[in-house]
Amino acid sequence: MTETVVMDRASASRRRYFPSAFGGLTFAGFAICLTALPLAVSLTGYQLNLLMQAATYAIAVFGLVVVLGYAGQINLAQAAFFGLGAYCVALGTTDFGLGFWLSLLLAVCVAAFAGAVLGLASLRLGGHYLAMVTISFQTILSLTLNNWISLTHGPDGVRGIQRPAILNDSRYFLAFCLAVLFTAGFGVYRLKRRRLGRAMQAVRDNEIAAAVSGIDTFATKVFAFTLSAALGGLGGGLFAGGFTYISPDQFTFAESVVFLTMALLGGVTSAFGAAFGTGLLILLPEWLRFLKVVYLAVYGAAVVLIMVFLPDGLWGIVTWAKRRLISEPPVDRQSIAPLPLTRQAACSAGQALLEVKSLSKHFGGLKAVDEVNLSVRQNSVHALIGPNGSGKTTMLNVLSGLYRPMGGSIVFDGGTITNAPPHTRTRLGIARTFQNIRLFPAMSVLDNVMVGAEQSGDLFSSARAVRNHAFSALEFVGLAERAYRDIGSLSYGHQRLVEIARALAGNPKLILFDEPGAGLNHGEKDRLVELLKQLKDRGLTVLIIDHDMAMVEQVAERITVLNFGRHIADGASRDVLRNPDVIAAYLGEVRSDAA
Amino acid sequence: MLLELDSVTAAYGRVLALKGLSLTVNDGEIVTLLGANGAGKSTVLRTISGLMTPQSGQVRWAGASIGGMKPGVIAGLSIAHVPERRRIFPGLTVRENILLGGSNLKGVSRAELEADVEKNFAIFPEIKPFENALGWTLSGGQQQMVAVARGLMARPKLLLLDEPSLGLAPLIVQQVYRVISGIREQGTTVLLVEQNAQMALSVADRGYVLETGTIVAEGLPSQLLDTDEIRAAYLGGRAKPN
Repeated sequence: MTETVVMDRASASRRRYFPSAFGGLTFAGFAICLTALPLAVSLTGYQLNLLMQAATYAIAVFGLVVVLGYAGQINLAQAAFFGLGAYCVALGTTDFGLGFWLSLLLAVCVAAFAGAVLGLASLRLGGHYLAMVTISFQTILSLTLNNWISLTHGPDGVRGIQRPAILNDSRYFLAFCLAVLFTAGFGVYRLKRRRLGRAMQAVRDNEIAAAVSGIDTFATKVFAFTLSAALGGLGGGLFAGGFTYISPDQFTFAESVVFLTMALLGGVTSAFGAAFGTGLLILLPEWLRFLKVVYLAVYGAAVVLIMVFLPDGLWGIVTWAKRRLISEPPVDRQSIAPLPLTRQAACSAGQALLEVKSLSKHFGGLKAVDEVNLSVRQNSVHALIGPNGSGKTTMLNVLSGLYRPMGGSIVFDGGTITNAPPHTRTRLGIARTFQNIRLFPAMSVLDNVMVGAEQSGDLFSSARAVRNHAFSALEFVGLAERAYRDIGSLSYGHQRLVEIARALAGNPKLILFDEPGAGLNHGEKDRLVELLKQLKDRGLTVLIIDHDMAMVEQVAERITVLNFGRHIADGASRDVLRNPDVIAAYLGEVRSDAA
Repeated sequence: MLLELDSVTAAYGRVLALKGLSLTVNDGEIVTLLGANGAGKSTVLRTISGLMTPQSGQVRWAGASIGGMKPGVIAGLSIAHVPERRRIFPGLTVRENILLGGSNLKGVSRAELEADVEKNFAIFPEIKPFENALGWTLSGGQQQMVAVARGLMARPKLLLLDEPSLGLAPLIVQQVYRVISGIREQGTTVLLVEQNAQMALSVADRGYVLETGTIVAEGLPSQLLDTDEIRAAYLGGRAKPN
């Protein structure tokens, strides 16, 4: 019996991994052939220049795939980073005599450093503020290149840029650029399916959910920005080497917009799409030259039409076709291991795992949470109830670190966490779900849960282990068969279950549920009750908000009742539900089966 | 017959949500749709209100085919949809949110609309203190009350309610259900999706049970409550009256 299971698992994993290995080999073969192309085919100088431009631009556009496509942060200064890299190589090989390789290294480092500084200074803003900051940076750099003549040679530009002796022939240099292009493109493609890439996409899709899944959202954004700038610098450095002459007008804001258009035209979430878009935008004007005077107008119109009808870029067609033609891989539920929930709290059963003392959070004049005390015992199920707007969700937001409290203290498992950021609390073992479901809608069900598993601490040794653990968590809530589905195709209730799976995948000690029963029918609520009981049996502690008193009474040992931000009752479930104040403020009528 | 769905098929991408589903709603009825998550209940409402386009089949409103028409046009036919997940306008005040519900009414004076808003505040006194607060500042349950009030503002012939009690305190749920059973007196027909089957059947004239995109049972509340399979699947063993 065991043997057949192992066999199944082996064959299932072969099915899953064979195509990607096959794809990788195809890509490698394709890349080597294209890299060798300039050496095998005779190209005119003009064709060489076009290809050189396309290759170096595409490397910079990969940077936009990382920062905009993956992490969702706008960067309107990619030409500035490209220019920084180009000037490093230009000045390094001429005025400073550093040689090409050292200059190229410098190009990447200087651009990355500039990106990191800009990111650290501005990524707390986001949105249109970030766009403004990047435009300003772009303008400052353009002004500097033009006016610091003693260093940059001003508007005249830099000529006589050196290449290494071995790559002095333009054909060899182009082959080198193509090799870098494919390496960088492959790296960016792989990043999307790695821990870091998933973290970036999670930040893009829902920053709050990313934070409570254990992702340091600010660090992730700064890293994406730095990586994007580094790729810009790399592309720029190669550009300078390729053309041996550069001038400031090649790195203006208009050029940043061109980079952005290339990324969006091809498909900003895909390295292949971005490379494709770059090639198209460089070649399209050449193909249209036969139109003579109107060619720029036709070119502009073509770009507008593609944008309007293919909002996901040209690569969107490929993704769409793939989704239509290739069916979801089957899920072999037999081979899924049961979910291990093994993390033990330091305190013993009966002691308080979470101790909240006179916690307050006000919004203007509204006292949403007003000096609330709450003690949740280790390995218990504790319910927080109260009328709509009584401060329950605000309380949960303060506990998970999304809001800073204005007063009071929170102690979790022996440590004070009153002012700790959300991702730190998650790594310490506090997980949560949201009342208005917060998932990562552009990622698959499985990827959503994998984010929860891999970000909550260094619990797993390999990507395979994370994947298996995510499957276990999905099986625990009964959704393993839908692992490869899009979030949008799931019903409201199933989306709730995905959220629960994501929270459980991080091996929490305490889990905060905000109305997990909303949107579930009786049968499904019965299963939820079973699930909550299982969690308790395995040593977890649960704090739950819900309005279904039949359910609350079934699972919770203790109840705390809030009204207008203050707690009005606290104690064993049965006593609290019969408290006249609670009935008047919340329950309305005495429940017939509460006796 | 006010509304008829005839062999309607609808899909999200490759996933079929409705598989040739047929149902009818008569004038003045309260009809409820029951079923597990993913059975297609919300999709039925979305198809009626025009948020989804049926792949095949007919949606008939007072005899005329409305399948595939734009949501704005259908709203003008006096069909109001209170969608799941609230979907109130976060940047508008509570009063503005509710007022907007009456935007399909032609030839009704502003004063009359304001009077309707006050009527809704009388139904949900809990949100009256927040009438000038922005939508997003309200708690989830308060937003739900705004969404239901907005639906009532349309004075619709047919009100599509998708889980109106979601996230509401027990006290408020009792209020909402008193409102639903009172709506009928104003000549409004209701198609109600609800997870709480007991509660829904207590106000409904008829019910349908959905499973993976098709109707598997229909009948009077008493008939549905007496069917063992339905009790087991959707009503649960634990919430029996007494």
